[in-house]
Amino acid sequence: MKILVCIKQVPDLESRFKPNAEGVWYNETDLAWRMNEYDEFAVEQAVQLREKLGEGAELTVLSIGPERVVEAIKKALAMGCDNAVHVQDLAAATKDPWQIASIISAYAKDKAFDLIFTGMQSQDRGSAQVGVTVAEQLGFACSTTLVGFEYDNGTITAKRELEGGIKGVVKIKTPALVTCQLGLNVPRYPTLPNIMKAKKKEIIAIAVADLLKEEPLATTVSFHPPAKKGSGIVLEGETGAMVDQLIGILKDKTTVLR
Amino acid sequence: MEATREIYWNIGQGVVIPMYILALAAFGVMAWGFRQRLPIWRQGRALNRFDRFDERVKFMISEVFSQSNISRVKDGGVPHAFFFWGFLTLFAGTMLVMLQADFFTPLTGVNILSGGFYKGFSLALDLAGILSLLMLAGLFIRRFVTRPKGLEIVKDDYIVLQLLFAILITGFLVEGARMAATELRQNPALAVFSPAGLLTGQLFSSMTEVTLLVTHKILWWLHFALVMGFFCAIPYTKLRHILTTSVNAFLAPLEPKGTIATINLEDESIEQFGTAAISDLTWKDIFDADACTTCKRCQDRCPASATDKPLSPMKIIQQIGELAVGNPSGNLIETVSQDALWACTTCRACQDICPANIEHVNKIIEMRRNLTLMEGAFPGDEVRTATSNIEVNGNPFGLAYASRADWADGLDVTLMESGAEVDLLYFVGCYASFDNRNRQVARSFIKICNAAGIKIGILGKGEKCCGEPVRKLGNEYLYQMVANENIELIKGYGVKRIVTTCPHCFNTLARDYQDLGLDVPVEHYSTFVNSLINDGRLKLVQDPEPFDFTYHDSCYLGRYMDIIDQPRGILAAAGGNITEMDQNGYDSFCCSAGGGRILAEEKLGSRINIARVKMAQETGAPLLVSNCPFCLTMFEDGIKTGGAEGQLQVRDLAEIVAERIAA
Amino acid sequence: MKALLIGEYREGKLLDSTYELFGFASQLGAESALLLVGSADQLPAFGGTLYLADAATCGEYNPDLHKKLVLEAVQKENPDYIVFVHSSYGWDLAPRVAASLKTAQVSEVTAIVPGGFEVGCCNAKMRRTVKPNSAKAVLTIQAGAFPVLQPGGTPQLQKLSAEGTAAVEFIGYEPAEPKDVDLARAEIIVSAGRGVGKKDNIPVIAALARALGGELGASRPVVDAEWVSHSHQVGTTGQTVSPKLYVACGISGAIQHLAGMKKSDFIIAINKDKDAPIGEVADVLVVADVMQFVPALTARLAR
Repeated sequence: MKILVCIKQVPDLESRFKPNAEGVWYNETDLAWRMNEYDEFAVEQAVQLREKLGEGAELTVLSIGPERVVEAIKKALAMGCDNAVHVQDLAAATKDPWQIASIISAYAKDKAFDLIFTGMQSQDRGSAQVGVTVAEQLGFACSTTLVGFEYDNGTITAKRELEGGIKGVVKIKTPALVTCQLGLNVPRYPTLPNIMKAKKKEIIAIAVADLLKEEPLATTVSFHPPAKKGSGIVLEGETGAMVDQLIGILKDKTTVLR
Repeated sequence: MEATREIYWNIGQGVVIPMYILALAAFGVMAWGFRQRLPIWRQGRALNRFDRFDERVKFMISEVFSQSNISRVKDGGVPHAFFFWGFLTLFAGTMLVMLQADFFTPLTGVNILSGGFYKGFSLALDLAGILSLLMLAGLFIRRFVTRPKGLEIVKDDYIVLQLLFAILITGFLVEGARMAATELRQNPALAVFSPAGLLTGQLFSSMTEVTLLVTHKILWWLHFALVMGFFCAIPYTKLRHILTTSVNAFLAPLEPKGTIATINLEDESIEQFGTAAISDLTWKDIFDADACTTCKRCQDRCPASATDKPLSPMKIIQQIGELAVGNPSGNLIETVSQDALWACTTCRACQDICPANIEHVNKIIEMRRNLTLMEGAFPGDEVRTATSNIEVNGNPFGLAYASRADWADGLDVTLMESGAEVDLLYFVGCYASFDNRNRQVARSFIKICNAAGIKIGILGKGEKCCGEPVRKLGNEYLYQMVANENIELIKGYGVKRIVTTCPHCFNTLARDYQDLGLDVPVEHYSTFVNSLINDGRLKLVQDPEPFDFTYHDSCYLGRYMDIIDQPRGILAAAGGNITEMDQNGYDSFCCSAGGGRILAEEKLGSRINIARVKMAQETGAPLLVSNCPFCLTMFEDGIKTGGAEGQLQVRDLAEIVAERIAA
Repeated sequence: MKALLIGEYREGKLLDSTYELFGFASQLGAESALLLVGSADQLPAFGGTLYLADAATCGEYNPDLHKKLVLEAVQKENPDYIVFVHSSYGWDLAPRVAASLKTAQVSEVTAIVPGGFEVGCCNAKMRRTVKPNSAKAVLTIQAGAFPVLQPGGTPQLQKLSAEGTAAVEFIGYEPAEPKDVDLARAEIIVSAGRGVGKKDNIPVIAALARALGGELGASRPVVDAEWVSHSHQVGTTGQTVSPKLYVACGISGAIQHLAGMKKSDFIIAINKDKDAPIGEVADVLVVADVMQFVPALTARLAR
């Protein structure tokens, strides 16, 4: 059984974001990078499945981006992926979801993957499109936002997270793609022997031009901070004084203290 | 009449050969007993504890004969010391008798056991015997009657105490019987130099000569048999500590306190990290179990133990011993339990008080290493998050690394990347960089340096967590990752001197980083400020307004770095009147945040920080002064959750000093 | 300009979020058609074309058949925009439609702005303006971002049906864990976020809720850490609330949370970080340590 997990390296969201020179995405200076949180759930689930299947299963991790994404790939390898593919693209951030999906599909189409895991969305872009689009392009069955995953002989029983705490249970057959949500699992912390082994694993590099033949369908024209809500009052300073001010505001503008 | 006595009186010279054969046999049994322990110790890994031989011998001799370490705890310790000296005197006296009878007399014919010397000798031995007996009685009462909390009674205690009593009593009876037949009749003036014999002699005064001689002979052989039994029992009972504990003083670690073996992460042949089984321990770790006397002092001082957590340093040592003997292939970590391992704050109170020089802390850290590096385990999810935050942003809070130097905005501090000359590098640490309360400490330190005309540089956003909490939790990999980045940066700037406001950063940079190639003098600000005051560079206000306070010795400044007096000196110079807590200096009680516990929630037992805040409150002082960002954080929290608000305030030493700088 | 709106049914009920689609279309100034996979006895009051497929045969969640239905409606209607709500239904189905049509998709639109659509990014800390390059575009709109609009009127029904094998077999719903609190009806909610630090501090937040006569709410991380049970969770995966007063304690304002509470009448946020996204929706932002400020406020209210 061949499994693929697609991961993205994203900035830590505690970072302060500033627009880049073109004003269409963030400036990368002073950002700390990590694996997209949803993709960590995807890697963990893929590794759990790979371990359960044992010999005969093969798990490949793929990431698109500049040299720095190798760090995220290494983490996935240390978590338990067997092979790694780095699609080298200095300008990955300018690609739209359609193009990113097309790159993955172009790589995967002749590799006979049975199952593809992705995160439900990236934490930075948040479009939640790439996984489903890859499935459409490859003609795979697809289920999104998984908080439960079971695999048995070509059939996946998935729990999807719906609104209000309700879950939807579905079954799909391989070849399939699933997107993973918070709550699916607790990603493992790589052990030192596995980190060491991961360092020695080969990471196959592919130039993005070899895979991407598609034009973008959407363009980001601006990246900017949100407009501040006009009415917001900001209180700062000594606790006691702030309490007094807040009580005043509550009496003034709401009915709750009457 | 000459003051002396006939050795082997009533026993006869014929006893010499059988006596020596029996003695040799007893020593043989003893040696055999220890020989049997050898394969148990040898299950451990190699470790060289025979280097610096002279130093080790000197330390062992002073430890054993001075009894200084054991008498640090008065209860049990003082009687033990006196008993030891008494028994040692008796032993030395017996040796002298042996030398006289079997060497001096046959070889030279000179009797040194005569005249004034004999009188003194006789009196000294009797007094030593009485002292030993009294101390033994005291220890007996302590063990079986008053019985301090946690003191266990095992089979060995009955055997050992009875044996020692029997030896002392039969000794006096032999003496009494001999004196009843000899001195009391022939030389009563001499008898007063054997007060105990004089007393026990009365028991035999009414006996006929024949009965007396037979009784004496029987008692003599009984006493002799008991002593031989004592030697035989050494390796098989608690008495083994006479040898193992003494030898453990020889084997004591000579490296700076807190030294942890640095794992060579480049060595690809290592496949097993940390300790999971007996065979992962060093032979010294296993030997420690034999040196342990279960005196429970470690347990008494352990902050985790004192707050009902499932950790007893003594129990861990005992569990290692039991497993090494009974089930060497057993799972050590399961035996000890993860909860016990994670509960340790590495405060070193156990190791510091241990009269047997047992190394508890590194064993715990090595087992944590196994959990962390081989299993990817954490004491809780919050620690997992904090660890990942350190990986990504270089601080446990997960705050943007680029904002690390924000606290210094508007202050007279130089960013090292500017290339400007500085007098020293201030390694700020995560808490002083990001935590609002501790930022006040950083600002106070800068104010002090500004006043003393010291130009301070900081690494700014390039500085990362020193790695101490994760190292103590066993994550050597992440520790070395952040440490190497810090070291590269520090070396790149050609830093000549480093000061920290955090005792954890201080220990790590000054000691741990040496293994990774950092060789720059590192100081904690308390000694640095102390020297600024002594050199006259920093002037505090004349006649400062007096204030009452109590002082908390952080573990990593006090016990680990022996910095105890300097901070008190500074506070006295600043006008402070100290009221000490009972547990101060080397006996200080941890704040709860060491050993990486700063990253973890305290879920088991009661709260350590609240216990410590209570101790501070009991002094009646309104102010608790500390010297560590972790302590400050824990006490701020402990004061709130422990309901001490309005009664006790906690402040850092730097804040006190900064407020009292002469204009 | 024409918009094909894709409404949503769950367990036989038309979801209220469908009316937000009308609100969006109205802001866009588009003529609307609606597609529903539901039942004829629960139709919205709407004067345009309503393409209706039967959920009994096509299922409430059957992405393959629903995609076919949308594509059929697109063919008939030829809309400029195909609009979904960014929900577990919308974000699942929209990319399938977009990929089949090979059109641009803009996800989780929060506003219509000159030159394109505004969407949140970087965990709601930043915004992007996205312009579709294709003639048609698929849009998903953020729940709660656009006003609810009930257009009124009677729809012109056009029945659709679809057949074929479904790759996704729907087994059923699993109910949410039972609730011990009904946040949806609460007038005052005081919520705890990760910023409260630890489980031990939850009672401090609960005390403020009591002092104000309200209920305790929580953000997702707090629930995930099991500091508070799931029934207290506010947000798209918990409950969407609209109390008179919402007090967010130590909640930075992840988008899922903001979407669940931003319709509250009055929002107070207590947070150390002045730049946290919660500040965008807050009427009052108190820049303070939660564990310092909240007890002081509670004490003052108790007086």
